[in-house]
Amino acid sequence: MENRDEAPSRGVTEMVNNGTPADVDVVAQVLGGDGEAFGILIRRYEPGLLRFATRMLGNPDAAADAVAESLVRAYRHLAQCRDPGRLRSWLYRITGNRCRSHLARRHMNDISLSDVPPPALADGSDTWAVLERGEQVALVERALAALPVEKREAFVLKHVEGMSYEEMAKVTGARIPTLKMRVHRAREALLAALEEVVR
Amino acid sequence: MSPIDPRLQEALDGERDPGDLPVDLREAYVRLISAAEMLTVTPRLSVASRVMAEIRRNPAPAQSEGPARRLIRWLGRPRAVTVRLRPVWTLALAAGLATVLLLQWPNGGPTPGVAQGIANFVGHFPGARSVEVVGSFNDWSRGTLHLSDENHDGIWHAAAVLPAGQHEYMFVVDGERWVPDPLADRYVDDGFGAGQQNALIIVRAVTAQP
Repeated sequence: MENRDEAPSRGVTEMVNNGTPADVDVVAQVLGGDGEAFGILIRRYEPGLLRFATRMLGNPDAAADAVAESLVRAYRHLAQCRDPGRLRSWLYRITGNRCRSHLARRHMNDISLSDVPPPALADGSDTWAVLERGEQVALVERALAALPVEKREAFVLKHVEGMSYEEMAKVTGARIPTLKMRVHRAREALLAALEEVVR
Repeated sequence: MSPIDPRLQEALDGERDPGDLPVDLREAYVRLISAAEMLTVTPRLSVASRVMAEIRRNPAPAQSEGPARRLIRWLGRPRAVTVRLRPVWTLALAAGLATVLLLQWPNGGPTPGVAQGIANFVGHFPGARSVEVVGSFNDWSRGTLHLSDENHDGIWHAAAVLPAGQHEYMFVVDGERWVPDPLADRYVDDGFGAGQQNALIIVRAVTAQP
Protein backbone atom coordinates (compact mmCIF):
# COMPACT_ATOMS: atom_id res chain seq x y z
CA MET A 1 0.00 0.00 0.00
CA GLU A 2 2.34 2.66 -1.21
CA ASN A 3 1.48 6.08 -2.57
CA ARG A 4 -1.67 5.80 -4.61
CA ASP A 5 -1.63 9.10 -6.41
CA GLU A 6 -0.53 9.27 -9.95
CA ALA A 7 1.98 12.01 -9.31
CA PRO A 8 5.20 11.83 -7.33
CA SER A 9 4.73 12.75 -3.72
CA ARG A 10 7.54 15.17 -3.07
CA GLY A 11 10.78 16.70 -4.12
CA VAL A 12 9.64 17.00 -7.70
CA THR A 13 11.85 19.37 -9.62
CA GLU A 14 11.86 17.90 -13.10
CA MET A 15 9.32 16.56 -15.50
CA VAL A 16 7.45 13.68 -14.00
CA ASN A 17 7.61 10.31 -15.67
CA ASN A 18 4.58 10.66 -17.88
CA GLY A 19 5.82 13.87 -19.43
CA THR A 20 3.53 16.24 -17.55
CA PRO A 21 5.15 19.23 -15.88
CA ALA A 22 6.38 18.93 -12.31
CA ASP A 23 4.48 20.55 -9.48
CA VAL A 24 7.03 23.32 -9.00
CA ASP A 25 6.74 24.28 -12.65
CA VAL A 26 2.94 24.27 -12.61
CA VAL A 27 2.88 26.35 -9.44
CA ALA A 28 5.23 28.88 -11.03
CA GLN A 29 3.01 28.93 -14.11
CA VAL A 30 -0.09 29.63 -12.04
CA LEU A 31 1.62 32.31 -9.97
CA GLY A 32 2.83 33.84 -13.21
CA GLY A 33 -0.77 34.44 -14.20
CA ASP A 34 -1.82 31.25 -15.97
CA GLY A 35 -4.73 30.24 -13.77
CA GLU A 36 -5.84 27.53 -16.18
CA ALA A 37 -2.67 25.61 -15.34
CA PHE A 38 -4.18 24.95 -11.93
CA GLY A 39 -6.32 22.38 -13.72
CA ILE A 40 -3.22 20.22 -14.09
CA LEU A 41 -2.84 20.10 -10.33
CA ILE A 42 -6.53 19.37 -9.85
CA ARG A 43 -6.40 16.41 -12.21
CA ARG A 44 -3.24 15.19 -10.53
CA TYR A 45 -4.42 15.28 -6.93
CA GLU A 46 -8.20 15.27 -7.05
CA PRO A 47 -8.65 11.48 -6.87
CA GLY A 48 -6.52 11.09 -3.77
CA LEU A 49 -8.01 14.13 -2.06
CA LEU A 50 -11.55 12.91 -2.73
CA ARG A 51 -10.69 9.46 -1.42
CA PHE A 52 -9.10 10.96 1.69
CA ALA A 53 -12.01 13.33 2.34
CA THR A 54 -14.59 10.62 1.75
CA ARG A 55 -12.93 8.38 4.31
CA MET A 56 -12.67 11.27 6.75
CA LEU A 57 -16.25 12.45 6.36
CA GLY A 58 -17.98 9.20 5.47
CA ASN A 59 -20.04 10.96 2.83
CA PRO A 60 -19.02 11.51 -0.82
CA ASP A 61 -21.08 14.67 -1.22
CA ALA A 62 -19.59 16.28 1.86
CA ALA A 63 -16.17 15.13 0.68
CA ALA A 64 -16.69 16.78 -2.71
CA ASP A 65 -17.62 20.03 -0.96
CA ALA A 66 -14.57 19.85 1.28
CA VAL A 67 -12.20 19.10 -1.60
CA ALA A 68 -13.66 21.82 -3.81
CA GLU A 69 -13.35 24.36 -1.01
CA SER A 70 -9.81 23.18 -0.30
CA LEU A 71 -8.69 23.46 -3.91
CA VAL A 72 -10.14 26.95 -4.29
CA ARG A 73 -8.45 27.92 -1.05
CA ALA A 74 -5.18 26.40 -2.22
CA TYR A 75 -5.41 28.37 -5.45
CA ARG A 76 -6.06 31.63 -3.64
CA HIS A 77 -3.13 31.07 -1.30
CA LEU A 78 -0.77 29.34 -3.67
CA ALA A 79 1.89 31.96 -3.03
CA GLN A 80 1.90 30.78 0.58
CA CYS A 81 2.94 27.28 -0.40
CA ARG A 82 6.44 27.42 0.95
CA ASP A 83 7.71 24.34 -0.81
CA PRO A 84 5.93 23.63 -4.10
CA GLY A 85 7.98 20.44 -4.37
CA ARG A 86 5.85 19.12 -1.51
CA LEU A 87 2.58 20.35 -2.93
CA ARG A 88 0.82 17.05 -2.31
CA SER A 89 1.43 17.30 1.45
CA TRP A 90 0.24 20.89 1.43
CA LEU A 91 -2.98 20.02 -0.37
CA TYR A 92 -3.68 17.13 1.97
CA ARG A 93 -3.05 19.45 4.91
CA ILE A 94 -5.58 21.97 3.65
CA THR A 95 -8.10 19.25 2.89
CA GLY A 96 -7.60 17.59 6.26
CA ASN A 97 -8.15 20.93 7.93
CA ARG A 98 -11.31 21.49 5.93
CA CYS A 99 -12.57 18.03 6.82
CA ARG A 100 -12.03 18.73 10.51
CA SER A 101 -14.06 21.91 10.15
CA HIS A 102 -16.88 19.93 8.53
CA LEU A 103 -16.72 17.33 11.27
CA ALA A 104 -16.76 19.94 13.99
CA ARG A 105 -19.96 21.33 12.54
CA ARG A 106 -21.51 17.89 12.29
CA HIS A 107 -20.30 16.72 15.70
CA MET A 108 -19.30 13.43 14.17
CA ASN A 109 -16.58 13.13 16.77
CA ASP A 110 -19.26 12.21 19.25
CA ILE A 111 -19.95 8.94 17.50
CA SER A 112 -18.56 5.98 19.35
CA LEU A 113 -18.25 2.37 18.38
CA SER A 114 -21.25 1.51 20.47
CA ASP A 115 -23.36 3.92 18.45
CA VAL A 116 -22.56 2.22 15.19
CA PRO A 117 -24.67 -0.84 14.63
CA PRO A 118 -22.78 -3.70 13.02
CA PRO A 119 -24.22 -4.98 9.76
CA ALA A 120 -26.28 -8.09 10.05
CA LEU A 121 -24.63 -11.18 8.70
CA ALA A 122 -26.27 -12.37 5.54
CA ASP A 123 -26.85 -15.93 6.63
CA GLY A 124 -26.00 -16.02 10.28
CA SER A 125 -22.58 -17.54 9.64
CA ASP A 126 -19.71 -16.68 11.88
CA THR A 127 -16.84 -15.99 9.54
CA TRP A 128 -15.57 -12.93 7.77
CA ALA A 129 -15.20 -14.88 4.58
CA VAL A 130 -18.89 -15.53 4.09
CA LEU A 131 -19.82 -11.88 4.27
CA GLU A 132 -20.69 -10.40 0.93
CA ARG A 133 -18.16 -7.93 -0.36
CA GLY A 134 -20.61 -5.08 0.07
CA GLU A 135 -21.25 -6.08 3.65
CA GLN A 136 -17.53 -6.24 4.34
CA VAL A 137 -17.01 -2.76 2.92
CA ALA A 138 -19.93 -1.38 4.91
CA LEU A 139 -18.55 -2.95 8.07
CA VAL A 140 -15.09 -1.50 7.53
CA GLU A 141 -16.50 1.93 6.71
CA ARG A 142 -18.60 1.92 9.86
CA ALA A 143 -15.67 0.84 11.98
CA LEU A 144 -13.53 3.57 10.47
CA ALA A 145 -16.22 6.21 11.00
CA ALA A 146 -16.41 5.22 14.66
CA LEU A 147 -12.74 6.08 15.24
CA PRO A 148 -11.86 9.44 16.77
CA VAL A 149 -10.96 11.84 13.99
CA GLU A 150 -7.23 11.95 14.69
CA LYS A 151 -6.89 8.17 14.63
CA ARG A 152 -9.09 7.93 11.56
CA GLU A 153 -6.95 10.50 9.79
CA ALA A 154 -3.75 8.71 10.74
CA PHE A 155 -5.06 5.33 9.58
CA VAL A 156 -6.33 6.69 6.27
CA LEU A 157 -3.14 8.58 5.48
CA LYS A 158 -1.04 5.53 6.33
CA HIS A 159 -3.05 2.65 4.96
CA VAL A 160 -5.34 4.19 2.36
CA GLU A 161 -3.13 6.95 0.98
CA GLY A 162 0.05 4.97 1.56
CA MET A 163 2.02 7.82 3.07
CA SER A 164 5.21 7.50 5.02
CA TYR A 165 5.20 8.71 8.62
CA GLU A 166 7.43 11.59 7.52
CA GLU A 167 4.88 12.82 4.99
CA MET A 168 2.07 12.26 7.46
CA ALA A 169 3.91 14.54 9.88
CA LYS A 170 3.99 17.25 7.23
CA VAL A 171 0.29 16.82 6.52
CA THR A 172 -0.91 16.76 10.10
CA GLY A 173 1.75 18.73 11.95
CA ALA A 174 1.94 15.95 14.53
CA ARG A 175 5.19 14.29 15.55
CA ILE A 176 6.08 10.91 14.12
CA PRO A 177 5.87 9.01 17.44
CA THR A 178 2.44 10.52 17.98
CA LEU A 179 1.34 9.45 14.54
CA LYS A 180 2.65 5.93 15.05
CA MET A 181 0.69 5.69 18.25
CA ARG A 182 -2.47 6.92 16.53
CA VAL A 183 -2.06 4.40 13.72
CA HIS A 184 -1.43 1.58 16.20
CA ARG A 185 -4.49 2.50 18.22
CA ALA A 186 -6.60 2.78 15.08
CA ARG A 187 -5.50 -0.69 13.99
CA GLU A 188 -6.40 -2.10 17.38
CA ALA A 189 -9.84 -0.51 17.31
CA LEU A 190 -10.52 -1.62 13.76
CA LEU A 191 -9.37 -5.15 14.38
CA ALA A 192 -11.47 -5.33 17.54
CA ALA A 193 -14.51 -4.05 15.63
CA LEU A 194 -14.00 -6.56 12.83
CA GLU A 195 -13.50 -9.47 15.21
CA GLU A 196 -16.54 -8.43 17.19
CA VAL A 197 -18.74 -8.93 14.18
CA VAL A 198 -17.30 -12.15 12.83
CA ARG A 199 -16.84 -13.85 16.16
CA MET B 1 -9.96 -3.34 22.69
CA SER B 2 -6.69 -5.08 23.53
CA PRO B 3 -3.24 -4.06 22.34
CA ILE B 4 -2.05 -5.69 19.15
CA ASP B 5 1.03 -7.84 19.31
CA PRO B 6 4.04 -5.61 18.50
CA ARG B 7 5.12 -8.05 15.80
CA LEU B 8 1.87 -7.40 13.97
CA GLN B 9 2.37 -3.63 14.26
CA GLU B 10 5.89 -4.01 12.89
CA ALA B 11 4.63 -6.05 9.96
CA LEU B 12 1.94 -3.48 9.23
CA ASP B 13 4.57 -0.74 9.39
CA GLY B 14 6.68 -2.64 6.86
CA GLU B 15 9.38 -3.34 9.40
CA ARG B 16 8.88 -7.10 9.51
CA ASP B 17 8.13 -9.74 6.91
CA PRO B 18 4.49 -10.76 7.46
CA GLY B 19 5.43 -14.25 6.34
CA ASP B 20 7.34 -14.64 9.60
CA LEU B 21 4.26 -14.03 11.74
CA PRO B 22 2.53 -16.85 13.63
CA VAL B 23 -0.66 -18.05 12.00
CA ASP B 24 -3.06 -16.12 14.24
CA LEU B 25 -1.18 -12.87 13.74
CA ARG B 26 -0.95 -13.50 10.03
CA GLU B 27 -4.74 -13.81 9.89
CA ALA B 28 -5.12 -10.51 11.71
CA TYR B 29 -2.58 -8.98 9.34
CA VAL B 30 -4.53 -10.13 6.30
CA ARG B 31 -7.78 -8.94 7.81
CA LEU B 32 -6.47 -5.44 8.43
CA ILE B 33 -4.74 -5.20 5.07
CA SER B 34 -7.83 -6.35 3.22
CA ALA B 35 -9.95 -3.91 5.24
CA ALA B 36 -7.64 -1.07 4.26
CA GLU B 37 -7.74 -2.18 0.63
CA MET B 38 -11.53 -1.87 0.69
CA LEU B 39 -11.14 1.77 1.62
CA THR B 40 -8.87 2.58 -1.30
CA VAL B 41 -11.68 2.71 -3.84
CA THR B 42 -11.67 6.20 -5.29
CA PRO B 43 -15.10 7.85 -5.45
CA ARG B 44 -16.36 8.47 -8.96
CA LEU B 45 -16.64 12.17 -8.42
CA SER B 46 -14.98 15.20 -9.85
CA VAL B 47 -14.93 18.74 -8.60
CA ALA B 48 -12.59 19.98 -11.32
CA SER B 49 -15.18 21.90 -13.33
CA ARG B 50 -16.67 23.37 -10.18
CA VAL B 51 -13.29 24.54 -8.90
CA MET B 52 -12.19 25.96 -12.23
CA ALA B 53 -15.50 27.81 -12.60
CA GLU B 54 -14.99 29.38 -9.20
CA ILE B 55 -11.44 30.32 -10.09
CA ARG B 56 -12.53 31.89 -13.38
CA ARG B 57 -15.41 33.73 -11.72
CA ASN B 58 -13.23 35.24 -9.06
CA PRO B 59 -9.60 34.95 -10.11
CA ALA B 60 -6.81 35.68 -7.71
CA PRO B 61 -4.59 38.69 -8.40
CA ALA B 62 -1.75 36.51 -9.59
CA GLN B 63 -3.90 35.16 -12.36
CA SER B 64 -5.88 38.12 -13.52
CA GLU B 65 -3.33 40.89 -13.67
CA GLY B 66 -1.59 41.86 -16.81
CA PRO B 67 1.86 43.46 -16.85
CA ALA B 68 0.47 47.00 -16.77
CA ARG B 69 -1.68 46.36 -13.74
CA ARG B 70 1.15 44.56 -11.98
CA LEU B 71 3.36 47.59 -12.63
CA ILE B 72 0.74 49.91 -11.17
CA ARG B 73 0.45 47.72 -8.09
CA TRP B 74 4.22 47.55 -7.78
CA LEU B 75 4.48 51.32 -7.97
CA GLY B 76 1.72 51.78 -5.43
CA ARG B 77 3.02 49.29 -2.93
CA PRO B 78 4.96 50.59 0.09
CA ARG B 79 8.54 49.39 0.18
CA ALA B 80 11.60 50.02 2.28
CA VAL B 81 14.43 51.98 0.70
CA THR B 82 17.97 51.75 2.02
CA VAL B 83 20.46 54.51 1.33
CA ARG B 84 24.10 54.16 2.42
CA LEU B 85 26.03 57.40 2.92
CA ARG B 86 29.28 58.47 4.53
CA PRO B 87 28.61 60.16 7.91
CA VAL B 88 29.76 63.55 6.75
CA TRP B 89 27.42 63.46 3.80
CA THR B 90 24.67 62.09 6.01
CA LEU B 91 24.87 65.13 8.26
CA ALA B 92 24.91 67.47 5.33
CA LEU B 93 22.03 65.69 3.66
CA ALA B 94 20.04 65.61 6.88
CA ALA B 95 20.50 69.33 7.34
CA GLY B 96 19.54 69.97 3.76
CA LEU B 97 16.47 67.77 3.98
CA ALA B 98 15.40 69.37 7.23
CA THR B 99 15.63 72.78 5.66
CA VAL B 100 13.64 71.73 2.61
CA LEU B 101 11.03 69.94 4.67
CA LEU B 102 10.58 72.77 7.10
CA LEU B 103 10.16 75.17 4.24
CA GLN B 104 7.75 72.94 2.40
CA TRP B 105 5.78 71.61 5.39
CA PRO B 106 5.90 74.27 8.05
CA ASN B 107 3.55 72.29 10.25
CA GLY B 108 5.66 69.11 10.28
CA GLY B 109 6.97 66.37 7.97
CA PRO B 110 5.08 64.11 5.59
CA THR B 111 2.90 61.53 7.28
CA PRO B 112 1.13 58.38 6.17
CA GLY B 113 -2.18 58.99 4.50
CA VAL B 114 -5.58 58.68 6.04
CA ALA B 115 -6.07 55.31 7.73
CA GLN B 116 -2.41 54.42 7.30
CA GLY B 117 0.39 53.88 9.76
CA ILE B 118 4.03 52.94 9.91
CA ALA B 119 4.96 49.31 10.46
CA ASN B 120 8.41 48.57 11.79
CA PHE B 121 9.81 45.11 11.20
CA VAL B 122 12.83 44.10 13.25
CA GLY B 123 14.44 40.69 13.50
CA HIS B 124 17.66 39.21 14.83
CA PHE B 125 19.11 36.92 12.20
CA PRO B 126 22.89 36.73 12.65
CA GLY B 127 24.66 35.39 9.60
CA ALA B 128 21.67 35.86 7.31
CA ARG B 129 22.39 37.02 3.78
CA SER B 130 18.95 38.47 3.21
CA VAL B 131 15.73 38.96 5.12
CA GLU B 132 12.43 40.07 3.69
CA VAL B 133 8.84 40.31 4.84
CA VAL B 134 5.90 38.68 3.14
CA GLY B 135 2.40 39.06 4.41
CA SER B 136 -1.23 39.70 3.82
CA PHE B 137 -0.40 43.27 2.82
CA ASN B 138 1.69 42.21 -0.17
CA ASP B 139 -0.16 39.04 -1.18
CA TRP B 140 2.63 37.01 0.41
CA SER B 141 4.83 37.97 -2.50
CA ARG B 142 8.55 37.94 -2.11
CA GLY B 143 10.82 40.68 -3.38
CA THR B 144 8.74 43.63 -2.25
CA LEU B 145 9.84 44.47 1.28
CA HIS B 146 13.47 43.81 2.20
CA LEU B 147 15.01 44.35 5.62
CA SER B 148 18.51 45.72 5.94
CA ASP B 149 21.31 45.10 8.41
CA GLU B 150 23.15 48.38 8.19
CA ASN B 151 25.45 47.73 11.13
CA HIS B 152 26.20 44.13 10.17
CA ASP B 153 25.26 43.07 13.68
CA GLY B 154 22.54 40.64 12.67
CA ILE B 155 19.71 43.04 13.47
CA TRP B 156 17.59 43.55 10.40
CA HIS B 157 15.10 46.37 10.05
CA ALA B 158 12.59 47.80 7.63
CA ALA B 159 9.75 50.25 7.90
CA ALA B 160 6.76 50.51 5.63
CA VAL B 161 3.57 52.50 5.39
CA LEU B 162 0.65 50.11 5.63
CA PRO B 163 -3.10 50.45 5.91
CA ALA B 164 -4.22 50.65 9.51
CA GLY B 165 -5.40 47.33 10.90
CA GLN B 166 -4.10 43.84 11.41
CA HIS B 167 -1.65 42.23 9.02
CA GLU B 168 -0.28 38.69 9.07
CA TYR B 169 3.32 38.27 8.04
CA MET B 170 6.40 36.07 8.04
CA PHE B 171 10.10 36.69 7.58
CA VAL B 172 11.83 34.92 4.70
CA VAL B 173 15.47 34.43 5.57
CA ASP B 174 18.02 33.83 2.82
CA GLY B 175 15.21 33.44 0.36
CA GLU B 176 14.10 30.04 1.57
CA ARG B 177 13.48 29.85 5.31
CA TRP B 178 10.05 31.11 6.43
CA VAL B 179 9.97 32.05 10.09
CA PRO B 180 7.39 33.88 12.15
CA ASP B 181 8.68 37.02 13.81
CA PRO B 182 9.93 35.84 17.23
CA LEU B 183 9.28 39.30 18.61
CA ALA B 184 5.74 39.65 17.34
CA ASP B 185 3.11 40.73 19.81
CA ARG B 186 0.63 38.17 18.60
CA TYR B 187 0.40 35.11 16.40
CA VAL B 188 -2.47 33.58 14.49
CA ASP B 189 -2.96 30.17 12.99
CA ASP B 190 -2.03 30.23 9.32
CA GLY B 191 -5.32 28.56 8.45
CA PHE B 192 -3.76 25.55 6.81
CA GLY B 193 -3.80 23.25 9.80
CA ALA B 194 -0.64 21.64 11.16
CA GLY B 195 -0.50 24.27 13.89
CA GLN B 196 1.76 26.65 12.00
CA GLN B 197 1.40 30.29 12.87
CA ASN B 198 1.86 33.64 11.23
CA ALA B 199 3.00 36.68 13.13
CA LEU B 200 0.49 39.48 13.50
CA ILE B 201 1.19 43.19 13.45
CA ILE B 202 -1.36 45.82 14.33
CA VAL B 203 -0.80 49.07 12.48
CA ARG B 204 -2.46 52.07 14.01
CA ALA B 205 -3.43 55.03 11.91
CA VAL B 206 -1.25 58.05 12.50
CA THR B 207 -3.42 60.67 14.11
CA ALA B 208 -3.50 64.12 12.56
CA GLN B 209 -1.35 66.78 14.16
CA PRO B 210 -3.42 69.34 16.10
